[in-house]
Amino acid sequence: MKRTSDIEIENQTIEKSIKEMAKNLFRNKEVDIILGYSAGTIPMASPPIIIRNESDVEKLVWNNFCSINLAKNLLELMPKSFDDKKNNLKIGIVAKGCVGRALIHLAIENQIELKNIKILGIDCNGIINRKKIEKEIGDREIIEVSLSNENILIKGKGFEQTFSYDEYLNELCKKCKVKSPPTSPELNGICSGKCEEVLSIEDDFKDISDYELKSYEERWEHIKNLLNNCIRCYACREACPMCYCHLCFVDQNKPLWFGKTTELSEIILFHLIRAMHLAGRCVACGACTSVCPMGIDLNLITRKLEQIVKERFNFTSGLNIVDLPPMVTQKMSDKEDFMIDEK
Amino acid sequence: MNEKILNKSQISKLFETLNKDYNFFAPSKEKGNIIFKKINDSKEIELDYLNSKIPPKEVVFPRIDIIFEYKINGKDIEIVNSKNLEVKNIIFGIRPCDAYSFYLFENFFQFGKFKDELYLKKRRGSLLIGIGCNNPRNTCFCTSVNGHPFKKEHLDILLVDLGEKYLVEPITEKGKDLILNLEWLSDATKNDIKKAKDLSKKAELTISTKMDFKDTFKNLDSNFNSLLWKEISESCLGCGTCAYLCPTCTCFDVIDENDHYNNRGRRIRIWDTCQFCLYTLETSGHNPRDAKIQRCRNRIMHKFCYYPKNYNLIGCVGCGRCIQFCPVNNDLRLIIEKVNKIKKEKEKEEMILSV
Amino acid sequence: MYNSYIPMLTAIKGIVSENKVNDIKTFELSFKNEIDYDNFDYVPGQFAEISVIGKGECPIGIASAPTEKGSIKFTIKKMGTVTTGFHNCEEGDIIGVRGPFGNGWPIEKMKGKNIVIIGGGFAFSTLRSLIIYMLDKENRADYKKITVIYGNRDSGEVLYKRDLENWKTRKDIDIFLTIDRKEEGWMEKVGFVAPIVKEIAPSSDNAIAVVCGPPIMIKTSIQVLEELKFKDEQILNSLEMRMKCGIGKCGRCNIGNKYICVDGPVFSLEELKKLPNEY
Repeated sequence: MKRTSDIEIENQTIEKSIKEMAKNLFRNKEVDIILGYSAGTIPMASPPIIIRNESDVEKLVWNNFCSINLAKNLLELMPKSFDDKKNNLKIGIVAKGCVGRALIHLAIENQIELKNIKILGIDCNGIINRKKIEKEIGDREIIEVSLSNENILIKGKGFEQTFSYDEYLNELCKKCKVKSPPTSPELNGICSGKCEEVLSIEDDFKDISDYELKSYEERWEHIKNLLNNCIRCYACREACPMCYCHLCFVDQNKPLWFGKTTELSEIILFHLIRAMHLAGRCVACGACTSVCPMGIDLNLITRKLEQIVKERFNFTSGLNIVDLPPMVTQKMSDKEDFMIDEK
Repeated sequence: MNEKILNKSQISKLFETLNKDYNFFAPSKEKGNIIFKKINDSKEIELDYLNSKIPPKEVVFPRIDIIFEYKINGKDIEIVNSKNLEVKNIIFGIRPCDAYSFYLFENFFQFGKFKDELYLKKRRGSLLIGIGCNNPRNTCFCTSVNGHPFKKEHLDILLVDLGEKYLVEPITEKGKDLILNLEWLSDATKNDIKKAKDLSKKAELTISTKMDFKDTFKNLDSNFNSLLWKEISESCLGCGTCAYLCPTCTCFDVIDENDHYNNRGRRIRIWDTCQFCLYTLETSGHNPRDAKIQRCRNRIMHKFCYYPKNYNLIGCVGCGRCIQFCPVNNDLRLIIEKVNKIKKEKEKEEMILSV
Repeated sequence: MYNSYIPMLTAIKGIVSENKVNDIKTFELSFKNEIDYDNFDYVPGQFAEISVIGKGECPIGIASAPTEKGSIKFTIKKMGTVTTGFHNCEEGDIIGVRGPFGNGWPIEKMKGKNIVIIGGGFAFSTLRSLIIYMLDKENRADYKKITVIYGNRDSGEVLYKRDLENWKTRKDIDIFLTIDRKEEGWMEKVGFVAPIVKEIAPSSDNAIAVVCGPPIMIKTSIQVLEELKFKDEQILNSLEMRMKCGIGKCGRCNIGNKYICVDGPVFSLEELKKLPNEY
């Protein structure tokens, strides 16, 4: 994909539109709070922020390190919007495509009420794979990160390095087809981006073709190698908007499904079972990979899940509020070749 | 003058010599992360690093630690004591902040009537060869918590990176004995020693994060129910990253693992963190720290209020890992700044505990 | 103890069911090694970490008094994985014991005072230890008037029925039992514990009150005691929290800078008021 404009200029445009939308919403008293991203205190970080009045709108930013999926933060605020004694809290949320998809999917699963939510939709221009850059740089300190034209410029203590934006984008962002929140009559708000209705998406899944060519034994080795340094901090689970169970399966002890240690067998069980729980629900936002402190690339598992769900059920999560996810419904057209020989 | 010189080209010789009698732990790169691991081949040693991701506490306080093993014979149970308590470790390349964390650990694990032999035995069998930090990060603040990038206390030997070689300075008796056995080390010159001193001064001046803890303890102690905690914990994910990567976090869980088919099992302890919601959950269902605000607050209180109350020391070594690796950039420096600025809150301030 | 993490092995000597629904049992354990028993020097109010090896470990207050020689007793309610493991045990099964841990009731400070014991439900177990200790002929003279107020949901839940019968016949201790609602055949008092305490109105003069039970009972009883002019340092509580190591190392039982397993579980109200409200 050839860039047609300077990334930094794009970012500034998007940031300006966010601030304008935010100011409008506050002025018209359409929101009580807005969830967005703010400037980080260390390079390549843009933490989430909740702003409560118009004067704080200046704190909102947009850049290519806004990796957190704000739908998760929204989920935590949900009980507040149902309190009959207080006025229902009206929440605004800066929404790139995957955040919008997450909101729609959470609404299907009855976890949020879209009527009290206003999105500030934007055309996301991609999130940079911070961990990949850090791996390239090694254990040296990065002082400043800037973007210009098609490049990411990293300045550190005693070194400078340039990375291609297109190459160092998140793998999921490279394949992203839903850059702005899909419109849906239920999803209120303003959008400074395209925000169109998305019926379905086409994807060739070429990025996981290497994995597809592996034999089952090779795949098992690959997965083991991928996950073996997990420390089970559960940052991936906490960052994922779809992981909202009050009692996660790993924390249950009646029955105790498996242990809490960092033995390889237990690590693999955690990640693969969590992947199964996300089948048909994951919105490919990449937050799990961006928060992992050990730099584990969970994108492979995400993409493989997407591919299987698309192939078997022709479904992509979070596009509209009507189509139920495949794991909660059954259609006569569902393939049954895993138990019946359909040949 | 007992300072020596170790050329960087001699590292493999050092490893070969010491590996005969000790478990040699050093920084190594694994999947892009610097961690301390047991070295089997000197090629695995990575010396181009600032600090490891997972702190070296892992060597003496492993993620999975066997407390004891047992065998079942009918109705009888036989307990087999953990054999691996007596160890001879060398932790090479540890930074002074992490060495200080060992001291804080030891303070805690040997306090009171009961000692934690599992940790203490491993610690006493470990010799620390530290390397001073020529280039502290922007997120380091060891000088704000009684530390220094070249602090010698708590190390057995201090190495200073002079470029192509290290200045070797033995500090404790154990360190001196080890150096004596490495007779092939050349003597250091006055120049070497001066260069090391200059590097030490330069490193101290490089430290850009200065935290003022003068009022922190007092403010934390008297503002437990402050609304500030709501603001501080807003973006916190509630994951275990800060605790697991913190060199002073000591909490653990105890688990019995049973191997029914082979009539045996073991009791192990694994890392745990007060950030997890089930940490304090009681069987009755009551959970004293039910809300994320309480858990987020507990960690800060523990490091900067409770630990100082018990030991007169701040329970933090200023390594900056929590600042560097927090997935949502919940910066400790900002938190302490906010705490320092708390004005005396009204007594009836109600904190909203529910999410 | 060389390694406080290794349990001492005991065998179950006897199991007594304490309540009608059979989910609270008292286990009598005898040490496999004599030396372990001799070294198990405990005071009432302390607890031990007892394990069904393979299932796990839990902290249980010691129900027997140090004056009852030969074995130790624990009263366990079936609630979670480990306690269910206990209830599935039979006589002769091996149980691991680590302890004694905790600070126990301050029996030295309580000497020469009138003791008011307020218990509710099955939290009465360490109170039994305290009462038997004080009533022992070696110790009785050290304490003045002993008043016991023990409340339960219904008559089937009353623990230690045999001990209570014994104590009721004694002249040197006043026992008041109460249940929440009227029952046929129940001759004792009826009502929640706090109003009964108000009714009996023990004097706060030279007295120490020991309160142990469910959180709501503790709260209401303390209110009544304060009305009766009991000062904060005269009211003692035994707290419970999730524990794992029992020796103040695993970190989870902390309230503020204190660890319940080491600095407690017994705290005076005065001490508790200084600690953060997270327990």
